Amino acid sequence: MTRRRWLAHIVLRALVHRWGRTLLLLAVLTLASSLATALGLVSASMKARVAEETRKYGANLVIMPESARVEVGSGGLRFGAVGEPSYLSQDQVLAALAKSGVKGDYSFHLKGALTLKGVQIPCEGVDFTQVRRLSPWWQVAGDWPRAGEVLGGSDLTPRYHVHTGDLFDFDGGKRPLRVRVAGLVSTGGEEDGTLFIDLKELQDQMGRPGQVSQVRLLADTGKGSLQEQAASLQRFLPGAVVKELRQVGRTSEELLGKVQLLMLLVTAVVLVTAGSSVAGTMSTAVLERGKEIGLLKAMGGSRWDLLKIFSAEALLLGVGSGVGGFLLGGLIAKFVASSVFAADAALRLEFFPVAVGVSLLLALAGSVGPLLSVFKLDPVQSLRGE
Amino acid sequence: MAAAIIETSQLTRSYGDICALKPLDLCVPEGEWLTVMGHSGSGKSTLLNLLGGLDRPTGGSISVRGTDLATLSEDGLARFRRDCVGIIFQQHHLIPYLTALENVMMSQYFHSVPDEAEARHALERVGLGHRLKNRPGELSGGEQQRVCIARAIINSPRLLLGDEPTGNLDHKSTTMVMELLRDLRDEDRFSIVMVTHNQEVAAWGDRTIHMDDGCLVREERTKGC
Ligand SMILES: Nc1ncnc2c1ncn2[C@@H]1O[C@H](COP(=O)(O)OP(=O)(O)OP(=O)(O)O)[C@@H](O)[C@H]1O
Ligand SMILES: [Mg+2]
Repeated sequence: MTRRRWLAHIVLRALVHRWGRTLLLLAVLTLASSLATALGLVSASMKARVAEETRKYGANLVIMPESARVEVGSGGLRFGAVGEPSYLSQDQVLAALAKSGVKGDYSFHLKGALTLKGVQIPCEGVDFTQVRRLSPWWQVAGDWPRAGEVLGGSDLTPRYHVHTGDLFDFDGGKRPLRVRVAGLVSTGGEEDGTLFIDLKELQDQMGRPGQVSQVRLLADTGKGSLQEQAASLQRFLPGAVVKELRQVGRTSEELLGKVQLLMLLVTAVVLVTAGSSVAGTMSTAVLERGKEIGLLKAMGGSRWDLLKIFSAEALLLGVGSGVGGFLLGGLIAKFVASSVFAADAALRLEFFPVAVGVSLLLALAGSVGPLLSVFKLDPVQSLRGE
Repeated sequence: MAAAIIETSQLTRSYGDICALKPLDLCVPEGEWLTVMGHSGSGKSTLLNLLGGLDRPTGGSISVRGTDLATLSEDGLARFRRDCVGIIFQQHHLIPYLTALENVMMSQYFHSVPDEAEARHALERVGLGHRLKNRPGELSGGEQQRVCIARAIINSPRLLLGDEPTGNLDHKSTTMVMELLRDLRDEDRFSIVMVTHNQEVAAWGDRTIHMDDGCLVREERTKGC
């Protein structure tokens, strides 16, 4: 029999011999590791859930040109500043996105007006594919526009008699424009009073190729907070203002952060408690086995041999309960996620090392004191005692 | 006269004010069977623990097979114990959750590699070939002591130490154990140092030393050496 197999054999024998204590230790370690795993899994699934929810609210950043400010008044008298419409260059924004490393979906918007039978109608030039992706809540009656088509706000119907399928001839732009209304959008917001037209077309009409008046951005907040992303984007856009939008998304992120902190604290408390209980149990075990340890030393076992035997016990307990904790943790996470967050928490394999690591760490940390006394135990004293 | 396996000079062991072993000069020739007798508390176990490398002297020197035990480190002493000595205790001190065979193999583990065939042979030598798979709790006192002897001789030590190995045994078991030790010694030629209160047991040895209050007070030859 090899030395390693023998070691495993006697360690198992010792654990089975004290099965009550072994079960207790296994239970404590399994519970601790399953709790850590479950909280990790729940937290990960919550994060995915929040990201998904946040997406529903659309863009979280908006980039606008810093409006040219003209001071009005003289001397001590100041009447404030008057804004003039100003524009951003699409290329500049794309370059800033690339340089800052901020990732996410975006849409370009150009605000303007077109004249229909002598009446000015507020217009917005957009890329319909971008808008559709970024604003999932837009309800469109009819179809999303194709080439030569526009999307009317639902308030345009009572105001200007705009209906789906209508053909309109606009003038007042650079050249006459004939478009068909593909559908009507209602959002309950300012969009309802706007006519949406292809961005390129409106840029041509207004004589502002490559220019926009607003960029909406749904930045991925996986890597850093929204604030950081806005700041890094701002650095590359000196002539523009980057503002955070959608407080809803931000609060849920903050809430998520707080809940995660809470779970981390709970886990820490549980781990410390479990660690002390392991330490207590291990200490009594070592005390009870003083004679055995003394005997093993008297037989010629070095301090390192003894340390090896007892750490092997801790190791075996740690790994065993780590596997158990991983499976149990998966079940707990599934239950918690479905009953509390109405979400699913799939058992992720990347949490396996976490589960095993936690229980292994606990088992070894709890054994440090007892192992030290094993190390130092004097064989004569322990064999004499009785 | 054969070379000495044990040589002590002014060997002392005190616990604070208590002097458990007063300066002792002792020489045990290779192959001798030495018996140590004396009242309770006279320092017999203290001497034996020093000889077995389980304890360190507070004064004097002790050399076993030419090795000065005082110069050995903690791990050096452990190596000395597993390579050079076999110990038999009064209370057997077998590991309760291991079988007789496994108890013997444990000693092999510390020495080199557990070898089941060799361990079985050792138990057969002490007449326990039929109780290999029994745990200590299932064996009689005499049988347990024989497992203990098998464990002590498994690594072929040159020195066998016994602290009242027959102290818990009845007359018949005692005789059996002593005969066994004599036979094993005749085959393996190791030296024995054995503590006992029993005059009959002392008669099996070559020489007896009497101790009192940590001092060697008397010495007698039981047989020719
Ligand atoms: N760890 C210790 N601390 C203090 N005194 C000790 C210690 N160990 C032994 N002694 C003392 O040393 C003396 C000798 O003890 P030892 O165990 O060698 O006696 P012994 O001859 O083996 O007695 P017995 O026949 O009862 O086993 C005793 O007086 C004992 O009280
Ligand atoms: Mg004694």
